[in-house]
Amino acid sequence: MLSEILIIVVRGIAIGSIFSIIAMSFNIVHGATGILNFAQGNMLVLGGFIAYFLANGVGLGQWLLMLPIAGIAIAVLIAFQGWITLLPLRSGTEQDSWIISTVSVSVIIGAAMLLTQGPFAYSVQNMVPSFRILGVRTPGAYALSIGVMLFWFFALRIFLKHTFLGLAISALRQDMDAARAAGLPVRRLQIVAFAISGLMVGTAGFLVAPVISVSSDAGLRYVLNGFVAVVVGGIGSNLGTMIGGPLVGVVGMLVAYKIGGSYQDLASLLLLVTILMFRPQGLLGRASARQV
Amino acid sequence: MLDVKNLFAGYGIVPVLEDVSLTAEAGKILLIGGENGAGKSTLLRAIAGFNKPTAGEVLLDGQRVNGMAPEQIAKTGMRLVLDGHRVFPELSVFDNLRMGAAARPGDRAGFDRAVEEIYSVFPILKEKHRAYARDLSGGQQQMLALGQAFVAQPRVLLCDEPSMGLAQSLMPQILSFLRRWAEEGTAVVIVEQHLSVTAPYADDALIIERGKVKFTCPAAELDDRLAAISAD
Amino acid sequence: MTTDKTMTMTDTAADTGRKPRFSSDLPQVWIGMALIAITGFGPSLIGNSYWSHTFQLVNIYIAAAIFQNFLFVDAGQKSFGQGVLLGLGAYVTAIFFGLHEYTFLAAAGIGLFAAALGGLLFALPALRVQYFHLGFVTLSAAIVFPQLLMSLDHWTNGINGISVAVPALTQDGFLGISPLTFIVAVFPMIALWLHYGIRRSRLGRRMRVAAISPEGARALGIKPGYMRFIAFLIAAVGTGICGILYLPAVAFVSPQGFNVELSFIFFFAVVVGGRGQILGPVVGIWIVYILPNIALAQFVDYRLLIYGFLTLFTVMAFPDGIVGTIERRRFQRGISGRGEQAFRVDNFLEAMKGEDATEPSTDVVVEVRGGTKAFGAVVAVDSVDLKVHRGEIHGLIGANGSGKTSLLNVLSGMSRLDAGEVRIKGRDVTRFPADRIANLGVGRTFQTPRIYPQLSLWDNLRVGLDARREAVSDEIDDLAEALQGQFADDSADLLSHGQRRLVEVMRTVLKESDIILFDEPAAGLSSGERENFARLVHFLSRRMGKTVILVEHDLDLVWGIADVITVMDQGAIVASGEPETVSKDPAVQHMFLGEARA
Repeated sequence: MLSEILIIVVRGIAIGSIFSIIAMSFNIVHGATGILNFAQGNMLVLGGFIAYFLANGVGLGQWLLMLPIAGIAIAVLIAFQGWITLLPLRSGTEQDSWIISTVSVSVIIGAAMLLTQGPFAYSVQNMVPSFRILGVRTPGAYALSIGVMLFWFFALRIFLKHTFLGLAISALRQDMDAARAAGLPVRRLQIVAFAISGLMVGTAGFLVAPVISVSSDAGLRYVLNGFVAVVVGGIGSNLGTMIGGPLVGVVGMLVAYKIGGSYQDLASLLLLVTILMFRPQGLLGRASARQV
Repeated sequence: MLDVKNLFAGYGIVPVLEDVSLTAEAGKILLIGGENGAGKSTLLRAIAGFNKPTAGEVLLDGQRVNGMAPEQIAKTGMRLVLDGHRVFPELSVFDNLRMGAAARPGDRAGFDRAVEEIYSVFPILKEKHRAYARDLSGGQQQMLALGQAFVAQPRVLLCDEPSMGLAQSLMPQILSFLRRWAEEGTAVVIVEQHLSVTAPYADDALIIERGKVKFTCPAAELDDRLAAISAD
Repeated sequence: MTTDKTMTMTDTAADTGRKPRFSSDLPQVWIGMALIAITGFGPSLIGNSYWSHTFQLVNIYIAAAIFQNFLFVDAGQKSFGQGVLLGLGAYVTAIFFGLHEYTFLAAAGIGLFAAALGGLLFALPALRVQYFHLGFVTLSAAIVFPQLLMSLDHWTNGINGISVAVPALTQDGFLGISPLTFIVAVFPMIALWLHYGIRRSRLGRRMRVAAISPEGARALGIKPGYMRFIAFLIAAVGTGICGILYLPAVAFVSPQGFNVELSFIFFFAVVVGGRGQILGPVVGIWIVYILPNIALAQFVDYRLLIYGFLTLFTVMAFPDGIVGTIERRRFQRGISGRGEQAFRVDNFLEAMKGEDATEPSTDVVVEVRGGTKAFGAVVAVDSVDLKVHRGEIHGLIGANGSGKTSLLNVLSGMSRLDAGEVRIKGRDVTRFPADRIANLGVGRTFQTPRIYPQLSLWDNLRVGLDARREAVSDEIDDLAEALQGQFADDSADLLSHGQRRLVEVMRTVLKESDIILFDEPAAGLSSGERENFARLVHFLSRRMGKTVILVEHDLDLVWGIADVITVMDQGAIVASGEPETVSKDPAVQHMFLGEARA
């Protein structure tokens, strides 16, 4: 009984950490641009594919070398996507074209993975040995995913509060007009924000590849759970995502154990609707989502 | 230094300014006055690139800047300080000043000097340099907003209603700072509704009424001109 | 902008000959019907059963895309989950017909009910949130739906799916056309007419207004949430019927048939065809579905990739979609010399009644007692007491941020007091939502006029008429007829700013509001337009007996027309009374340029 609860909590938090990373990657882009990138889940899976193709079954040295490569590759890809997405927004007439363009990019990546890799889920070897918590064997990648979440949380915190670039990106969110008056290069900063979001999901996808579903249809589910995490925590609050992500993960795990694995996404959907109906600004959020 | 010629501008399709021309010279303060809603802020925002003029020219040292994005205009040396003492609330005082350097990157020594000068003029900013800007009073935020512009050392400073929401007693300190700043060779343009406080610090005055220039005169003659109009 | 406009209307623009029509909705309906008829009946007539079959499914998808188009644009609801509604219709019908041996009609009835219920479930979050939130919710539903079909295998047969046959529908009939072929061709035609019909109706106009500007809608007494509910219900029933027709057409349902890809097809078809264009879904489904599935059948595996690139390309290169791009060209060709350039309202009003008839009375129609409203630490309205009498022109002035507009928002119900009360016509309306206050006869204008470019100029005015609760008086009826005759095919988008203000004023007149709130009406008007506006306000008050509350910066204008002036400063009222009294008040003196007013 106790071990069952432990398994649910540990695995839930670990999987939820991945949602939390996606949620944080939403936040940095949304803060700088007002865009939520629907393709973010597929980008995470792409990071997993990089692990499968370039670092599966290799030595620790090569694996460590491939980690930044995965991050940078996805960062470049998302920066390019961001550039494309921001193009029509220059005119200012078509403000919701980004919903359509990011959804189509998400579909394109999913389709490309399906075409080249088929509908299978690929398994990637664990690089970190498994360990025991109170006698329950836990794959090392679970610890890794919690570690990656904490790493990115603190890395973002330092970046956004202590570097010129990071301060400038957070300034965009705080007051766009004042940022432009101060001469901050808005468009370039927005693309940097996209790139950072890519660095986050690229490295995360690479590191947690052993415990995520590396398959062409998984991306959408990750992006949705990431969205639930960001809504639960409150859009814009990275601290909130550290509550939202694990909460979504634990609820999903609980449902999987008690009812069945195929009801996890339903549970996330119900959680999302509940939060939107009763607390649309999220647990720690300030900006109201309500637009009635 | 700054020449605005026959400017027409507005918000979206709302026309506000009609045929406005003005000149701001280095070393002088130009005071732009007018009633609420006359188009003063629109004028500054159009000059700084926030709304695209529909006709006319904005020249900075003879170079056309209209049509450029506001962040580009800031880099060419014309800096707008928005009304309502707008700073970045979640950034510290010092980081707010750092953001000012975006318009003049790469000059570390110049930045340090400028910050020192700001701190000596407004010691309260030095005292609170680690505080979040949101925790400052309105007056301190205005000082910070001006400090952020000062760091960029622009050739032209546009200042939108520096007195808005501030205690009157703070204005002399802020205005004399602007006066000294102008005397170092910067062209300063101040938009104000309350003219009597600002006029003594200004060299020239321009009054806007319903989007058009009503008259221009030396700042010293402003009171008489206004009195003459009121008497009509 | 000319400054010497006169009160009389120049009637040159009225007869510039026949104007090009404002909207090509009706021709698009006919073209769409012709295209569906050709593809729906053609293959059967020449006896090609492959194409006949293929176009059965294509036509069902077209119908579903038409409802997506309606929901996406007319109602402004970004739903990515329409495949779920289609799937509900198909699956529930299949369960009752195929597994439980109900009659097809009875099973279809239950299927339709299930789809409608699904639509209402979508509408529930839409009451609270909009925009990308709703997109994520509906997209989640599209992902969860096939998972549920799999896991609830006790009811759904799981991965094996359900096979059905409805021979009565699929047998060849007259001219080789089976009843099914006939129905699936006629249904999208009906859907086209329905979309067109709703658009032309009062409901459709109110729905579009609510989609474009919720606060503009509330000022017209519309509940945006109610409109969304109706829209989802209509779309769900329509899409559910598509699902029911899917069943005999494909003869088999399985979870894989209703995955998220299906929802994407409808959404992408709308974008590629042209958002909001009646014909868009027909063209869109042809391109998005037929191109990869049939014309390039050897690339069928690439279809998702093709959908994605087509849509991305469209949104980058032709944001209006294919039909939308053509339509815009057509419209731009006919743009010059149109009547809207002469849009004036004064002469229409002058024609209405004879002489100044009314004077302000002593009844209080609007009253605020101890009204306080704070936004965080800022007290925007601070213990305000205000009385406005019937028929009076009441000017509300003060510096930027003094709380004038906040007070106006409280009066119109756009925001709610934290303390104190508001009474309108003797009723306590403190806690009334904006739409209820609007329905009490309060009309308002906005700082930025709410103009709906998707609607013709006449329809922009007509939404005022649509907001009425009582029968139209003869005078208003005549006025409406004259306006319709002149502006039915004009574009509101081409109006100058001053004209847009007049459109809003006219809208409140057509609504027959007896209390009108103006929010900075003179901003951006030329001096000639200001004079006209002043006369219009005088007309509204003295000839039509309306109560006018006016927030305005132009003090000359306010002093020229107001019966009573109230001055606000930092949320509080500092002076109130007749113009002569107020101008002597020392608290008011500093507001004027030169700090003195003669």
